[in-house]
Amino acid sequence: MKGNSAILSALNEVLTTELTSINQFFLHARMYKNWGLSALNDKCYKKSIKDMKQADVLIERILFLEGLPNLQRLGALSIGEETQEMLGCDAKFQTAQISQMKPIIALCEQEKDFVTRQILVDILEYEEEHLDWLETQDYQIANMGIEKYLQAQL
Amino acid sequence: MYVCLCKGITDKDIKEAVRAQGVGSLRELKQLMPLGSQCGTCTKVAQKIIDDTIIDDTMFKDVG
Repeated sequence: MKGNSAILSALNEVLTTELTSINQFFLHARMYKNWGLSALNDKCYKKSIKDMKQADVLIERILFLEGLPNLQRLGALSIGEETQEMLGCDAKFQTAQISQMKPIIALCEQEKDFVTRQILVDILEYEEEHLDWLETQDYQIANMGIEKYLQAQL
Repeated sequence: MYVCLCKGITDKDIKEAVRAQGVGSLRELKQLMPLGSQCGTCTKVAQKIIDDTIIDDTMFKDVG
Protein backbone atom coordinates (compact mmCIF):
# COMPACT_ATOMS: atom_id res chain seq x y z
CA MET A 1 0.00 0.00 0.00
CA LYS A 2 1.50 3.27 -1.16
CA GLY A 3 1.95 5.77 1.67
CA ASN A 4 2.07 9.53 1.77
CA SER A 5 5.65 10.77 1.19
CA ALA A 6 5.51 13.40 3.97
CA ILE A 7 4.41 10.71 6.43
CA LEU A 8 7.12 8.35 5.23
CA SER A 9 9.89 10.88 5.79
CA ALA A 10 8.39 11.79 9.18
CA LEU A 11 8.34 8.10 10.12
CA ASN A 12 12.01 7.88 9.18
CA GLU A 13 12.75 10.79 11.50
CA VAL A 14 10.98 9.03 14.36
CA LEU A 15 12.93 5.87 13.48
CA THR A 16 16.23 7.78 13.67
CA THR A 17 15.27 9.02 17.14
CA GLU A 18 14.36 5.50 18.25
CA LEU A 19 17.64 4.07 16.94
CA THR A 20 19.54 6.81 18.79
CA SER A 21 17.49 6.14 21.90
CA ILE A 22 18.33 2.41 21.82
CA ASN A 23 22.04 3.19 22.02
CA GLN A 24 21.81 6.00 24.56
CA PHE A 25 19.75 3.97 27.04
CA PHE A 26 21.79 0.82 26.48
CA LEU A 27 25.05 2.59 27.24
CA HIS A 28 23.53 4.31 30.29
CA ALA A 29 22.14 0.96 31.50
CA ARG A 30 25.51 -0.73 31.32
CA MET A 31 27.26 2.25 32.95
CA TYR A 32 24.83 1.93 35.88
CA LYS A 33 25.50 -1.82 35.95
CA ASN A 34 29.24 -1.18 36.02
CA TRP A 35 28.73 1.01 39.10
CA GLY A 36 26.49 -1.62 40.74
CA LEU A 37 23.32 0.44 40.43
CA SER A 38 21.18 -2.52 39.39
CA ALA A 39 17.75 -0.87 39.71
CA LEU A 40 18.77 1.88 37.26
CA ASN A 41 20.43 -0.72 35.00
CA ASP A 42 17.18 -2.72 34.81
CA LYS A 43 15.07 0.34 34.05
CA CYS A 44 17.37 1.65 31.30
CA TYR A 45 17.95 -1.80 29.81
CA LYS A 46 14.20 -2.35 29.51
CA LYS A 47 13.79 1.10 27.95
CA SER A 48 16.45 0.25 25.37
CA ILE A 49 14.82 -3.07 24.47
CA LYS A 50 11.41 -1.38 24.27
CA ASP A 51 12.93 1.18 21.88
CA MET A 52 14.15 -1.72 19.72
CA LYS A 53 10.63 -3.12 19.57
CA GLN A 54 9.24 0.31 18.72
CA ALA A 55 11.87 0.70 15.99
CA ASP A 56 10.77 -2.70 14.64
CA VAL A 57 7.13 -1.53 14.43
CA LEU A 58 8.24 1.65 12.63
CA ILE A 59 10.44 -0.29 10.19
CA GLU A 60 7.57 -2.65 9.37
CA ARG A 61 5.15 0.24 8.91
CA ILE A 62 7.55 2.12 6.60
CA LEU A 63 8.01 -1.02 4.47
CA PHE A 64 4.26 -1.60 4.46
CA LEU A 65 3.79 1.94 3.10
CA GLU A 66 6.36 1.08 0.39
CA GLY A 67 9.06 3.35 1.78
CA LEU A 68 12.65 2.56 2.69
CA PRO A 69 13.43 2.63 6.42
CA ASN A 70 16.71 4.45 7.01
CA LEU A 71 18.67 2.37 9.51
CA GLN A 72 21.91 4.10 8.66
CA ARG A 73 21.21 7.49 10.16
CA LEU A 74 21.84 7.95 13.87
CA GLY A 75 21.46 11.09 15.97
CA ALA A 76 23.97 12.37 18.53
CA LEU A 77 23.95 10.54 21.87
CA SER A 78 23.99 12.55 25.07
CA ILE A 79 25.86 10.45 27.61
CA GLY A 80 26.32 11.70 31.16
CA GLU A 81 29.33 11.10 33.38
CA GLU A 82 27.49 10.49 36.65
CA THR A 83 23.99 9.37 37.65
CA GLN A 84 22.32 12.74 38.01
CA GLU A 85 23.78 14.03 34.77
CA MET A 86 22.78 10.82 32.99
CA LEU A 87 19.18 11.19 34.20
CA GLY A 88 19.29 14.82 33.01
CA CYS A 89 20.59 13.79 29.57
CA ASP A 90 17.81 11.20 29.30
CA ALA A 91 15.16 13.75 30.31
CA LYS A 92 16.43 16.15 27.66
CA PHE A 93 16.30 13.37 25.08
CA GLN A 94 12.75 12.36 26.05
CA THR A 95 11.52 15.97 25.95
CA ALA A 96 13.00 16.42 22.46
CA GLN A 97 11.44 13.17 21.25
CA ILE A 98 8.00 14.05 22.62
CA SER A 99 8.02 17.46 20.94
CA GLN A 100 9.26 15.84 17.71
CA MET A 101 6.40 13.32 17.68
CA LYS A 102 3.42 15.59 18.34
CA PRO A 103 3.39 17.47 15.00
CA ILE A 104 3.95 14.13 13.20
CA ILE A 105 0.86 12.67 14.87
CA ALA A 106 -1.05 15.79 13.80
CA LEU A 107 0.22 15.24 10.23
CA CYS A 108 -1.07 11.63 10.27
CA GLU A 109 -4.44 12.88 11.46
CA GLN A 110 -4.53 15.49 8.70
CA GLU A 111 -3.60 12.93 6.04
CA LYS A 112 -6.09 10.43 7.52
CA ASP A 113 -3.40 7.79 8.10
CA PHE A 114 -5.03 6.55 11.29
CA VAL A 115 -3.05 3.34 11.60
CA THR A 116 0.30 5.18 11.57
CA ARG A 117 -1.22 7.68 13.97
CA GLN A 118 -2.13 4.86 16.38
CA ILE A 119 1.41 3.44 16.22
CA LEU A 120 2.87 6.87 17.01
CA VAL A 121 0.38 7.52 19.81
CA ASP A 122 1.37 4.22 21.46
CA ILE A 123 5.05 5.21 21.25
CA LEU A 124 4.31 8.71 22.56
CA GLU A 125 2.44 7.30 25.54
CA TYR A 126 5.42 5.17 26.51
CA GLU A 127 7.87 8.06 26.04
CA GLU A 128 5.76 10.34 28.23
CA GLU A 129 5.65 7.68 30.93
CA HIS A 130 9.41 7.37 30.84
CA LEU A 131 9.82 11.16 31.08
CA ASP A 132 7.53 11.08 34.11
CA TRP A 133 9.70 8.37 35.66
CA LEU A 134 12.78 10.54 35.05
CA GLU A 135 11.06 13.50 36.72
CA THR A 136 10.24 11.28 39.69
CA GLN A 137 13.93 10.40 40.03
CA ASP A 138 14.77 14.09 39.92
CA TYR A 139 12.27 14.76 42.69
CA GLN A 140 13.66 11.93 44.79
CA ILE A 141 17.24 13.15 44.40
CA ALA A 142 16.19 16.69 45.35
CA ASN A 143 14.35 15.45 48.44
CA MET A 144 16.44 12.58 49.79
CA GLY A 145 19.87 13.64 48.56
CA ILE A 146 22.00 11.88 45.96
CA GLU A 147 23.70 9.52 48.46
CA LYS A 148 20.44 8.03 49.75
CA TYR A 149 19.04 7.90 46.24
CA LEU A 150 22.03 5.96 44.97
CA GLN A 151 21.81 3.58 47.91
CA ALA A 152 18.21 2.86 46.97
CA GLN A 153 19.34 1.89 43.46
CA LEU A 154 21.83 -0.81 44.53
CA MET B 1 28.50 14.90 29.80
CA TYR B 2 30.48 13.29 27.00
CA VAL B 3 30.57 15.54 23.96
CA CYS B 4 32.84 13.44 21.75
CA LEU B 5 32.07 9.77 22.34
CA CYS B 6 34.63 8.58 19.79
CA LYS B 7 37.50 10.06 21.80
CA GLY B 8 35.85 10.28 25.24
CA ILE B 9 36.04 14.07 25.54
CA THR B 10 33.68 15.75 28.02
CA ASP B 11 32.14 19.23 28.19
CA LYS B 12 34.35 19.84 31.23
CA ASP B 13 37.47 19.16 29.15
CA ILE B 14 36.34 21.71 26.58
CA LYS B 15 35.44 24.35 29.20
CA GLU B 16 38.80 23.80 30.85
CA ALA B 17 40.58 24.32 27.52
CA VAL B 18 38.68 27.55 26.94
CA ARG B 19 39.40 28.88 30.43
CA ALA B 20 42.97 27.72 30.93
CA GLN B 21 44.34 27.76 27.39
CA GLY B 22 42.26 30.57 25.93
CA VAL B 23 40.76 28.42 23.19
CA GLY B 24 38.31 30.50 21.17
CA SER B 25 37.42 28.35 18.19
CA LEU B 26 36.89 24.77 17.15
CA ARG B 27 40.12 24.84 15.14
CA GLU B 28 42.14 25.86 18.18
CA LEU B 29 40.40 23.20 20.28
CA LYS B 30 41.23 20.51 17.73
CA GLN B 31 44.93 21.32 18.11
CA LEU B 32 44.72 20.44 21.80
CA MET B 33 42.52 17.33 21.66
CA PRO B 34 41.38 14.87 18.98
CA LEU B 35 37.75 16.05 19.21
CA GLY B 36 35.65 15.49 16.11
CA SER B 37 38.42 13.62 14.31
CA GLN B 38 36.47 10.40 13.82
CA CYS B 39 32.77 10.83 13.05
CA GLY B 40 32.39 14.59 13.46
CA THR B 41 28.93 14.36 15.06
CA CYS B 42 30.06 16.37 18.08
CA THR B 43 31.41 19.51 16.38
CA LYS B 44 28.15 21.47 16.62
CA VAL B 45 27.79 20.81 20.36
CA ALA B 46 31.49 21.51 20.94
CA GLN B 47 31.21 24.87 19.16
CA LYS B 48 28.22 25.79 21.32
CA ILE B 49 30.11 24.92 24.51
CA ILE B 50 33.07 27.08 23.45
CA ASP B 51 30.75 30.01 22.66
CA ASP B 52 28.74 29.64 25.88
CA THR B 53 31.86 29.41 28.03
CA ILE B 54 33.36 32.54 26.45
CA ILE B 55 30.12 34.47 26.98
CA ASP B 56 29.85 33.27 30.59
CA ASP B 57 33.43 34.10 31.51
CA THR B 58 34.69 37.09 29.64
CA MET B 59 32.23 39.06 27.63
CA PHE B 60 30.72 41.14 30.41
CA LYS B 61 33.55 40.93 32.91
CA ASP B 62 35.28 44.24 32.21
CA VAL B 63 32.24 46.24 31.25
CA GLY B 64 31.96 49.47 33.20
